Amino acid sequence: MSGLLTSMARRVAICNRLIVSVLVLLALTSIAWSAEQGRFAIRTVFTDVRDGVIYLNADVDYELSEVAVEALASGVDLTIELQIEVVRDRRIWIDRDIASLLQRYQLSYQPLSQRYITSNLNSGDQLSFAGLPAALEHLGRVRDLPVLDDTLLKPGKRYEIRVRAVLDTRDFAGPLRLITFLWRDWRLASEWYEWPLII
Amino acid sequence: MATNNLKRWLTIIMATLGAALLFISLVFLSKTTQNSAEFGRLQTSILLLNAAGVAVLLTLILINLVTLVRQYRQHMPGARLTARMVTMFVVLAVAPLGLVYYFSLQFITRDIDSWFDVQIESALDDAMLLSRTALENRTREHLDRLQNSMGRLQGLSGPNLVAELERVRETMGAEEMTIVGSNNRIIATSSALEAAGVPMRPSDEIRLQTRQGLPYVSFDPISSGGFQIRIALKLAAEGAVDGVGLFENFGAEGGADEERILLAQIPVASNESDLAEGVQFAYMRYRELAFLRQPLKVSFTLTLTLALLLALLTAVSGAFYWSRRLVAPIQDLVAGTRAVAKGHFDTQLPVPQRDEIGFLVNSFNEMTRRLAEARESAEQSRQQVESERANLAVILARLSTGVVALESDLRLRAVNQAAGAILGHEFEAHIGDKLGDFAGASAMTQQFVELCRGHLDKGETEWREQVVLRGDVGRQVLMCACTALPGEADKASGYVIVFDDITALIQAQRDAAWGEVARRLAHEIKNPLTPIQLSAERMRHRFMKKMDSEDARVLERSTHTIIHQVEAMKDMVNAFSEYARAPNVDLTIFDLNHLVHEVAELYRVQSRSVTIALELDTEITVLEADRGRVRQILHNLIRNSIDALEGQEQGRIELATRLVREQDLKFVDIVVRDNGPGIQMDIVEQVFDPYVTSKPKGTGLGLAIVKKLVEEHGGRIYANNRDTGGARISIRLPMDEDSRTAMLSRAAQPRENRREHA
Repeated sequence: MSGLLTSMARRVAICNRLIVSVLVLLALTSIAWSAEQGRFAIRTVFTDVRDGVIYLNADVDYELSEVAVEALASGVDLTIELQIEVVRDRRIWIDRDIASLLQRYQLSYQPLSQRYITSNLNSGDQLSFAGLPAALEHLGRVRDLPVLDDTLLKPGKRYEIRVRAVLDTRDFAGPLRLITFLWRDWRLASEWYEWPLII
Repeated sequence: MATNNLKRWLTIIMATLGAALLFISLVFLSKTTQNSAEFGRLQTSILLLNAAGVAVLLTLILINLVTLVRQYRQHMPGARLTARMVTMFVVLAVAPLGLVYYFSLQFITRDIDSWFDVQIESALDDAMLLSRTALENRTREHLDRLQNSMGRLQGLSGPNLVAELERVRETMGAEEMTIVGSNNRIIATSSALEAAGVPMRPSDEIRLQTRQGLPYVSFDPISSGGFQIRIALKLAAEGAVDGVGLFENFGAEGGADEERILLAQIPVASNESDLAEGVQFAYMRYRELAFLRQPLKVSFTLTLTLALLLALLTAVSGAFYWSRRLVAPIQDLVAGTRAVAKGHFDTQLPVPQRDEIGFLVNSFNEMTRRLAEARESAEQSRQQVESERANLAVILARLSTGVVALESDLRLRAVNQAAGAILGHEFEAHIGDKLGDFAGASAMTQQFVELCRGHLDKGETEWREQVVLRGDVGRQVLMCACTALPGEADKASGYVIVFDDITALIQAQRDAAWGEVARRLAHEIKNPLTPIQLSAERMRHRFMKKMDSEDARVLERSTHTIIHQVEAMKDMVNAFSEYARAPNVDLTIFDLNHLVHEVAELYRVQSRSVTIALELDTEITVLEADRGRVRQILHNLIRNSIDALEGQEQGRIELATRLVREQDLKFVDIVVRDNGPGIQMDIVEQVFDPYVTSKPKGTGLGLAIVKKLVEEHGGRIYANNRDTGGARISIRLPMDEDSRTAMLSRAAQPRENRREHA
């Protein structure tokens, strides 16, 4: 009887130890991941109406994950997408989309000149930077981006503008796409940043 | 049957569709891993589809496995076979698939790794370095030249500055040159392009660098292809040398010590640019591939694993499906065999398909059908035999002929009721006993057994004989016949002995014959007797007086003798005619004891030498019978005894009546005993036949008439000798109508049957 109890107690102890070690391991991996994971965050958004056009100004913090930086250095072009949506805020029904705008940027590395090139895929503007932070900072500063004509908005209604920055992996080469689908450190996206649109 | 077919087809179609879908998705997956753009967007859904397929198959297999384990534990028929087949199929599928998987993984890893070579990598690095150095040299050259020409722009302003800038640009071969002041104000610009756009502005980086007095040099790709060199230099603010006027005109806002930056954009020669680009492309491609090495391995492994898993799981599901399909008819067969073993011969199994197992199932069905038919016919013939046997038993039981069946070793096999009744013995208890081992058997049975054994021991199996058996109550004449039952190899399997009691038949024949004799005798003799008597009397009457005394005495004696003898003859003839008289019983109810008393009294007076003792049962009150005939019976019996006692001193006759009850029937026994010489042993059997007598005088008809009278009442008569000497005659008469009917039917039955048999 006592032998049985002892063996049971030993088993319980082993189980406890196992659970604790698994938890510790999980915690460690999550810390390690968060360190390498990178982060997209929208710091500020504000709009500005001039001559009947609504302009968007935003500051986005882009922080690439280690893998993404490595991929960039290895010649993989990264596409960053700024998704902008204007919705009518409806009390009862779901919100109605008024306009949506996709601002796409490409970030690439030039080994010959050892410079980072940013290009606005919408306008074709291209700039080169000696360092990655400068390039990212440039990408994160959105100034006077025309979003829509205010004639599309009815006065007196509540509108909202929301913005999100996403690392677009859809155009990646096959194997990399599979990896980005499976690996978490490739899934880089900011939360939706919502801002009431006041005319 | 139709639903089953439909279900089967549906299953097959679904399985084929599923397999095809999975196969196509696998092909897509492999295409996407091979960097094919058109499937890139589909990749996620394809991957999910494959995963779903794997999940569905896994669930199917799990369900099947659980079912199989349960069936195996319950020892269901076919479970073991299914398990064995599934194991076999799985092993057959897993082993080669595992091998292929292992080697494929090895090949993929090695193949991908083989793309990369340290030497190629360092060569590419070197090429890159070389290109960069070449371009840097070119850039430095341009920088040096620009720095040398910078002096020409110093101190100039306005149109002069623009003109000089144009000249410097042309000598430099630059595409565009611009001088920018503070606040990004363009002081002068010159462009080689015809449709020049907005002149370039210095970036923060340029400003930072030039502010420190260092030249800014960059080497940028242009969107139209190729490269350009960008140089930014800080121009010394020495414009005051040429005159303040200029500054006054242009630099009024900027002030005298305005910071100027010279921006130059110089295209790289196309051949150099192309080469550099080529090197860069190769280098980048290589780096990209090196980076993609791990993802490539992972995605290849993943695709391969998925493909393998799908193949394996499909194989395992298939193994389950086919094992079940193969085993299902065998299971049916097992269940069918069990059912047949339990006696359900009408078991029919569904025929699976036209193969060997289908043939087997068909044969099984045929077998059960034939078994059912055979059983039915066996049942029918059994019933037939049973009914035959029952009929035979009834016939045998109703038969008045005795039937005894013996085994070949003379053990009693069967015996009917009539045999027991004839021989006066219960044979039921002796079935299986050997002939002759019947303990407590009657004298007649023993005689019968001896007769049979006598023949059979001698090896006589077919015989026919009339035998006379002597029993306690008289003799019995039997007609016996024996025959052997047919057996195997000419050896009798037993014997059947058939015998009839023909005593009554013989007696009847004898009675009939005597009746005829008596009638004729009476008719033929009685007629002449009267004329004889009359003639004798007349002779005496006529001649007596005429004759002398001597002759008269002779005549007297002779005629007296004639008359006397004729008288005696008349008596005799009367007795015969009485015997032959047709029965005409006149039943009345009277007191038997009284009658006995009356008759006995009569003889007590007549014969003083004989004592007549009465022993009357007081229970007997009345008897239903012909009073006159009963009186005659008594007369005859008493006279018979008196005759027997003639010449004997202390003759004694005992007359007894007794009431006998048998079930509901009542009988009266009348017994007459004397202490005379008794019946001679040689005639004891025929004592009741006419003209059988042991007395010196007498017609010999006394007892025959008694017997006739008794039988007319349905009664019975027996005669035997007493142990103490003397004869005893017993009569049993029915007391009422019911008893008479019963006795008559008992006596008549064998006679009728006998007639039927004859």
